[in-house]
Amino acid sequence: MTQPTAKPRGPIAAHPVRAAVIAILLAALIACTLFVAIYDSATPKIGDFPFFYFYLLVYFPVMTIVMWIVLQLQKGMRTHGDTGEGAS
Amino acid sequence: MSNVNATTFTIVVILFVLVTFAGFSAARWRRAEDMLHLNEWGLGGRGFSTFISWFMLGGDTFTAYTFIAVPALVFASGAIGMYAVSYAAMAYPIAFIFLPRLWSVCRMHNYATQADFIRGRFGSRGLALAMAFTGILALMPYIALQLVGIKSVITVMGINSTSTNTFVKDLPLLVAFLVLAIFTYVSGLRAPALISFVKDGLVYLFVLVAIFYIPTRLGGWGAIFGHAQTHMAAINPKTGKPNGAFLPTTKPIGSTQVDFMTLALGSAVALFVYPHTVTATLTAKRRDVIKRNLSLQPLYAILLGLIALMGYMALADKTTVANVKSHGANAQLAVPFLVQHMFPSWFAGIAFGAIIIGALVPAAIMSIAAANLFTRNIFKEFFKPDATPRQETRVAQWASLVVKLGALYFAAELPTTFAINLQLLGGVWILQIAPMLIFGLYTKWFHRWALLLGWLSGMVYGTIAAYRSASPTASHWASSSDIELGHTVYIGIAAVIVNLVIVLVLTVILNAVKVSNGTDETLPHQYTADPETDPVPVPASAALAD
Repeated sequence: MTQPTAKPRGPIAAHPVRAAVIAILLAALIACTLFVAIYDSATPKIGDFPFFYFYLLVYFPVMTIVMWIVLQLQKGMRTHGDTGEGAS
Repeated sequence: MSNVNATTFTIVVILFVLVTFAGFSAARWRRAEDMLHLNEWGLGGRGFSTFISWFMLGGDTFTAYTFIAVPALVFASGAIGMYAVSYAAMAYPIAFIFLPRLWSVCRMHNYATQADFIRGRFGSRGLALAMAFTGILALMPYIALQLVGIKSVITVMGINSTSTNTFVKDLPLLVAFLVLAIFTYVSGLRAPALISFVKDGLVYLFVLVAIFYIPTRLGGWGAIFGHAQTHMAAINPKTGKPNGAFLPTTKPIGSTQVDFMTLALGSAVALFVYPHTVTATLTAKRRDVIKRNLSLQPLYAILLGLIALMGYMALADKTTVANVKSHGANAQLAVPFLVQHMFPSWFAGIAFGAIIIGALVPAAIMSIAAANLFTRNIFKEFFKPDATPRQETRVAQWASLVVKLGALYFAAELPTTFAINLQLLGGVWILQIAPMLIFGLYTKWFHRWALLLGWLSGMVYGTIAAYRSASPTASHWASSSDIELGHTVYIGIAAVIVNLVIVLVLTVILNAVKVSNGTDETLPHQYTADPETDPVPVPASAALAD
């Protein structure tokens, strides 16, 4: 199960900016829901929803868009059919 | 059986029979040449497409935990229950970072469990045993939670008789349990995979109708939130404290921000080191399938947030509150009673069916995952190294039954005032294998003995802390949060910090004195590889051994 030829450069070294953007996006996705102080407030009310509850619900569609962007960025990083792990 | 609604009961029975039929016929679905191979029984042939994998992963997110336990916590304590929503949000990016690596390395080496990976990475049977043991142990209370969920629906339907004989009283639960056990035994992972189509259809229908229809009956979302806010701030005459908190507070003790954060983070990391999630991941055919699913699943998970808010809906409905109170103030009954009061009896039947099936599917996946761990990393490793695939599968089938019996024990023995604690207790244990699994995917720097001792310390600390937590109604295992350094925190996080400190200190020492860290059979490129889309040259001998 060994690959005879070692790759000269990994995908991260080949695309440092892309890899950094992916890492930042994924870290932001985690941080923005982890730090509850950011959204721990009843106001402003959006419709009938207190801000805390609205934020948690709207987080999911926003996250889907960001994850889709990450997926597209990773596709562009592929070398030798390899998928880059931005945050690794 | 006096107040059973015939329509509701009939529909639940029809759905249950339908699912039982699907469970047994699943053995013939996508049939393999030899079903008596662990890759077939335990991993569904490892060839699920995006479409099926979607339902497999979704099956791990939507369980009795989601339908019963989380709304129950919101109903009883308010905002702290919303940690489950924050946790779901965090879980996807976290999984997106490391699950594809785990899939690749497991596919390249034909690992069937995460403990197989640990054994290959660190060349340590002991570490793999620790991981297998923890995985099996942690799944038992989680399966127990599914049984508690089914039981609460049965209670509200009124079909558990008032007989004092335990056997007669819990007969419906035992029937559901037996059917689950038998179809898992016969069909393996194909059964929950096939049933999850039915399950997800019912779940979508139930939740979408509920979140649009119920608020119109209760005066709109404004009234629901208004009522919740007033109720949570009101002083409970028994305890002299507020009923709950409408928002997590900044105070150090109680329903606080720190408790919220540690519960959410702990659960998010735990979700994707739980063996059943890893099992669901390994069934995927290609690496891309996992990435695509993880990036799209959040759209589905928004339902989880809305289901959590059904706790507040229940609070705004006087009849539901009165019913819960007359049944020993068991908050787990809030959603079933709300469903029963709000919907015509035929739709209540569909909703109850959705919740029961929604508990059976993950319970099946969980018991199969535990069985895989037992077979590969305990039976084959320590008792019968030359076991044939056929023997492996037989052992796994029996192990899946034993694990379910263990779950019954947890369901009977532990206080179920807050069923969510069953899942959180599992989390306390499963988090202790997170360091070896997640670090192991990225680096070999951490020392195997350090990881083993860190695991042991975390397990001991977490178990003692959880055992000692008491409440007015239960002397032990009452809560999964504890006061550490003047803050209420999730015990799982406190224990994993103990674990990590020991891992770091011992790794530095052991590496300095150059103690052997085992032979690593994995190679760096295997963590990002996908043999399906980009075949790597494999020596003929290895290909045959596969």
